[in-house]
Amino acid sequence: MKRLFWLLVAVLLASLGLAQQTRLRVFVGGQQRPDVMRKILDLYQQRNPGVRVEIEVGGATSDQQQQYLTTVLASRDPSIDVILIDIIRPAQYLASRWADTIDKYLPAASRQALLRQYLPAYSQANVINGQLVALPGFADAMFLYYRADLLEKYGFKPPTTWEEAIRQAQTILQRENNPVLNGIGFIGAPVEGTVCTFLLPIWASGSDVTNAQGQFTLTVEQAQRALQFWVDLMDQRVSPPNMAEKPQDTIRQEMQAGRWVFGTLFAYAWNRFQNDADSQVKGKIGVVPLPAFAGGRQASCLGGWQWVVSDFSRNKAQAHRLVRFLSSPEVSKILAIEASNLPVFPALYRDPDILRVNPWFAQALPVVQAARARPQHPRYSEISEVIRVTTNQVLARQKTPEQGAREIVNRLQAIYSGR
Amino acid sequence: MAQQKPRYRRSLGDLSERALAFWLLLPAALLLGLVALYPVARLFYNSLFRRRLTDETGFNPVFIGLGNFTQALSDERFWTALWNTFLIVLVTVPGALVVGLLLALLANLPFRVRWPVRLGLLLPWALPLVFAGLIFRWFFDSQYGVVNDVLVRLGGERLLWVTTPELLFWAICITIIWKTSSFVALILLAGLQVIPKELYEAAAVDGASRWQSFWRITLPLLTPALLVAAIFRTITAFQTFDIPFAMQNGGSSFETLAMYVRTTSIENLNFGYGSALAVLMFLISLGVTLLYLRYIRGADD
Repeated sequence: MKRLFWLLVAVLLASLGLAQQTRLRVFVGGQQRPDVMRKILDLYQQRNPGVRVEIEVGGATSDQQQQYLTTVLASRDPSIDVILIDIIRPAQYLASRWADTIDKYLPAASRQALLRQYLPAYSQANVINGQLVALPGFADAMFLYYRADLLEKYGFKPPTTWEEAIRQAQTILQRENNPVLNGIGFIGAPVEGTVCTFLLPIWASGSDVTNAQGQFTLTVEQAQRALQFWVDLMDQRVSPPNMAEKPQDTIRQEMQAGRWVFGTLFAYAWNRFQNDADSQVKGKIGVVPLPAFAGGRQASCLGGWQWVVSDFSRNKAQAHRLVRFLSSPEVSKILAIEASNLPVFPALYRDPDILRVNPWFAQALPVVQAARARPQHPRYSEISEVIRVTTNQVLARQKTPEQGAREIVNRLQAIYSGR
Repeated sequence: MAQQKPRYRRSLGDLSERALAFWLLLPAALLLGLVALYPVARLFYNSLFRRRLTDETGFNPVFIGLGNFTQALSDERFWTALWNTFLIVLVTVPGALVVGLLLALLANLPFRVRWPVRLGLLLPWALPLVFAGLIFRWFFDSQYGVVNDVLVRLGGERLLWVTTPELLFWAICITIIWKTSSFVALILLAGLQVIPKELYEAAAVDGASRWQSFWRITLPLLTPALLVAAIFRTITAFQTFDIPFAMQNGGSSFETLAMYVRTTSIENLNFGYGSALAVLMFLISLGVTLLYLRYIRGADD
């Protein structure tokens, strides 16, 4: 009887202990290396025995993840505490009141000190209307990946202008005479990455969707030239005619199977090319900043992922502590080494441990610093839809570049004027 | 001493038949009200407001009366989506009925081993719509797809099925017909099996050909089943969403009404306008259903 009593006491205490543990749930996308995130969270759990963190893995693309998250957040579901969101979303999260802003837990002075540590693009992307919506997890930008072995074989240096890249691709395709080899791969399916495809030539020519004051400035002519550039690549047979079918990861997989000379992809591709078991191009890939137009400037598309606390979380204080850890230099370094995610702290681009695994990070810093951000707007989803669907239709030859450009400019104008 | 009835039986026994029916139906009615009536009523209510989750109206909706509906009437994208939806109905409903009828006739043949045929019938029906969409998306892929592979082997050219609008439309229709004709076949098979064999025997004695007995016996007796199948098929065809959505990678070059509703509310967070579009879709479905019901009643009389 006595033994039973003590057993009961033990069970009671154990359950009290369990009850005191905070459970947090973190949402990351399938392409954001949940395996590496798990290691990082295990580290956090070791240091904070009172906290258990679960991972929920979402869809592979930014759009798929947000479709799911919209359902969760619009219904005020408290089950997710911390979310990794794409750089284009903070404005929407603030407008929809889905984010528990970081400011509440940060005195103004330390907020300034914290934000100064990050690459300026990321502090800017996360401060909307003066409020700190999220904290950066890792940086990203588009790069030009190339087949170093093929370029070397024909005595080419990595291209610095698009004209050069096109010439090199044409020569290599002609001489190699390999039916499965293609020239320049770019994202053309109606997915988020196609917004970057559309904007790259616009940025490279020095214009943008809005001016510094956020007023809409894009002209039909600028849009048309951008669309024409990609259509020309298909006409010149540097890119195959089915580019409208290709999302980013298809290009990555095909390049990994040795089917592309050049690919415009985000930073995650490097790690896959070098480390995936099925990679046919291990050690054969080089990476450089995206080319410029002759006489123009080089421009890349800014990517990157941010940690945000859900406004419906029941453990906001704990969730904020976790977000501070996840956006720390320590985690940025782990992500750089294990997932080749670009760091959000400038100093880490010179870190010897990171450079040993990713030697190309040494040249990546200026690219990330010069990369341009897609428009920040609470109705970004609509802006993105207009751009990616129309660009896709132009690439699919359903619309001429001129029709597409008119449509994009008209519809964006309507969104910017609040209609 | 007379045995006492259990309490519940006593109180139920005291009820009149009408009252009993009321209490028995109440749970189902409540449930239906909760999951069907309330959301539909809420939808109608929401459709009268400007409500975007991307600005202040997400929290303080502004009443605009029928503003969303007048916007829809002048919205080119709405009309395109409506037209696309009609095209899908126009092609896939008769398509599924014809293919379904053929399948049902095939499955009704006196095979010794019937289960492979019936399994083949059930499989597409049991498959989730999105899967069907994704599978056919791969079939029609210009580079890796089996359809183009066959075309090339037959000496044809590679076609860009998914990104050429006309081809995409037919690819979507083929997929929908493949997916839905098995449902039609199941209904028709049930219809076929209740047709008495004696009729065919009598027809054979009278010297009717198989073709004649199909037109004179099978088809007329199958009409009620065909109608039921047509109603169900039409209603689901008006709601077509999954297959075109999955086949376009989330794009919207070919957009049905249901796809437009989803993009407006879930992606663009414009719940007021999205609700209005959904209401319009609801009204159209309701209209079609009433039309059919009327026709059936007419046929019964």
